[in-house]
Order: sequence, then structure tokens, then C-alpha cells
Amino acid sequence: MASGAVAGCMGALLGLGGGVFLVPFLNAWFGLDFKTAAAISLVTVIATSSAVSAGTTGRNLINLRLGMLLEVASAAGGVAAGMTVSHISDITLERGFAGMAALIAVLMLTRLERRNVIQDTTVHPGSLGGRFHDEESGGEVIYQVRRLPLALFVSFIAGNVSAAFGIGGGILKVPVLTAWCGVPMRVAAATSSLMIGVTAVASVPIQYANGYVSPPLAGAAVLGVLVGSRGGLWFGARARSKWLKLLMALVLMTVSVIYLRRTL
Amino acid sequence: MNGEHPQFARLEVTLGRLLATGVAISAILLAIGLTTWLIDPQRAAALWLLNAGLIVLMATPILRVIVSFAEYITMGQWFFAVVTIIVLIELAITVIVAVSRL
Repeated sequence: MASGAVAGCMGALLGLGGGVFLVPFLNAWFGLDFKTAAAISLVTVIATSSAVSAGTTGRNLINLRLGMLLEVASAAGGVAAGMTVSHISDITLERGFAGMAALIAVLMLTRLERRNVIQDTTVHPGSLGGRFHDEESGGEVIYQVRRLPLALFVSFIAGNVSAAFGIGGGILKVPVLTAWCGVPMRVAAATSSLMIGVTAVASVPIQYANGYVSPPLAGAAVLGVLVGSRGGLWFGARARSKWLKLLMALVLMTVSVIYLRRTL
Repeated sequence: MNGEHPQFARLEVTLGRLLATGVAISAILLAIGLTTWLIDPQRAAALWLLNAGLIVLMATPILRVIVSFAEYITMGQWFFAVVTIIVLIELAITVIVAVSRL
């Protein structure tokens, strides 16, 4: 439950499901096999998604249209991987997990200073873009969505990765959306938080039917994550984007090193 | 977003309430189930409550997509209605595969 709380807090903070923290904990410290850890983590991803999204609504940070469009791709990825993941070996999954975490950390570190908001409020945001009140620049800001095919592609990959590794997939989408698709960090995080619930639901029922989800453990993890995500929401509204990105990169590097050491 | 589309802002609030309710029901079921399970792991009610909590949890995002679909139809947002129905079909495939494996 405590690990669920920490994972939920980090998840809410970074727009991730928190799975990237919970999977290593359940797997490496708690001794569950990788697929069971991943399935339980995916269940908590649904909880984080619903709880965080419910707490974020009303601030115009969630882009419903962009989210729904990208869900087509991420749910397809989730369904595909959900059906095939039971045929993949644990060690392959763990190596993939390490590689992915390292890659994203590097990506995040190289893009620390970027801001995707336009402060001229007369610019039209386009059919998928939007505007919101940004506390860092102290006013209404506008953003436009660029490179939609790339966003769809990364969402499909994120869906696969989500089902295979038990994470929300925000870890992939948020950096790509902020770095190349013109979406501001907070909007990307909020939209991703909403999306990961549907992404996880695209594969969790299959894992549940396969018997990978132990109800008492999943219940405890979910309750822990729900408590933790409250803390994350509170802190997230007060921290700066740059520090969120630094924190994200640091945690990912640590996770990656732990997994590489385990599988070599 | 509500500068251009006030109805989207309203949908966001509706969906927020739906998600909050789903999570609350699920959390209550899981909390009672877990407490019962810790007292007596053999009791059938404990597992029933835990499973019910997990199923409510899984059903909440699906319900969100269904409500979004109905809202897009009401708004006459056909493009997004089609997008939503595709997501629903994908989720239906998973649920059907899962039920067939139970």
C-alpha cells in the first residue's frame, strides 16, 4: 500500500500512471513475477487515471478531442499487446523495460527549457489545440497541435508498451507530445492521464481473465495509489515544469539501471 | 479550450464527475473487501467485494467513452462520434476475449 501511495503521487505529478515505479517495486522487492506485477500495476493505472482526471477537470488542461483521437491508437496497441504478452518471456520484458526507461530519460533531459505556449491570445489554436490559464506566465495561453500522425504513432506504441510493461504509457506520450507536437507539459500530462485509463482497460480484462490480477494485492495497490495521487495533484499544481522534467528523468535513469543490473 | 467550444468544457465537467463517482464506489468496495479479507481470507464475501471493486474500476473508463459518444452525438460532432465508436469497438474486443477466457 505504501508503494502504491508513492507511485500514485509520482504518477499524478508527471501525468504518468505511476506504473513505472510500482512495477519495479512489486517485481524486484516484493518478488512477484514480471507479468503479475505488470498486471497489478495496470489496474492501479486505471485508478490513477480516473482519480487524477476527476481532480483536473474544470481547468481546461485536459484536451478531450486530442485525447479521444489518440485513444484510437493507444487502445489498439493495448488490445494487440494484451493478447500477445503472455507469450513473451519475463527477461525479454525486463530488458525492454530498462531500455525504454533510459531512452525517455535522455529525451527528457535534452528538452528541459522548451515551452510550447503562445502568449499572444489572438492566435487561433486550430481544431485540436486549445487555451488555458497558465500560472507560470500568469495569463491565458494558447497552443496548437502539430504533427498529429506522430502523436497517433507514439500513442499506438504507448498502448503496446502499456500492456506489456504494466505502465500507463504516459512515459512515452508526454515527452513526444511536448517535444514535437506543440502540446504544453501540463496539457500533455492531463490529457495523457485521462487517456491511460482507456489504454489500460484495453488490456487489463485479458490479464484479469488470465489470472494475473490477485484481487487482494490489486485492491491494496489501488487504495495506496488513490491516496498517493491526491498528494501528487497538490504538489503538481505548485511545482515548475522544469523541475518536474528533471525529477522524471532522474527516476527513469534509476529504474533503468536497476533493471539492467538484474537482467545482465 | 472553452474559448471556442463551451460544450466541451461542460463535457469535461460531466466526465470528471463520472470518473470521481466510479473511483469512489470502487474504493469503498475494495476497502471493505480488503478489510474482510485481512480478518478472514477464506470468506467468500471478501473475494466477491474485491472482484466487484476491480470490475467497477475497469468499467469506469469504458463508461466514460460511452458517455462521450452520447454527448458527441447530441452536439452533432460527427467526427468525434465516429472516433469514439472506434475506441468502443476496440474495448469491446478486449472484453469479449477476456470473457471467453474466464
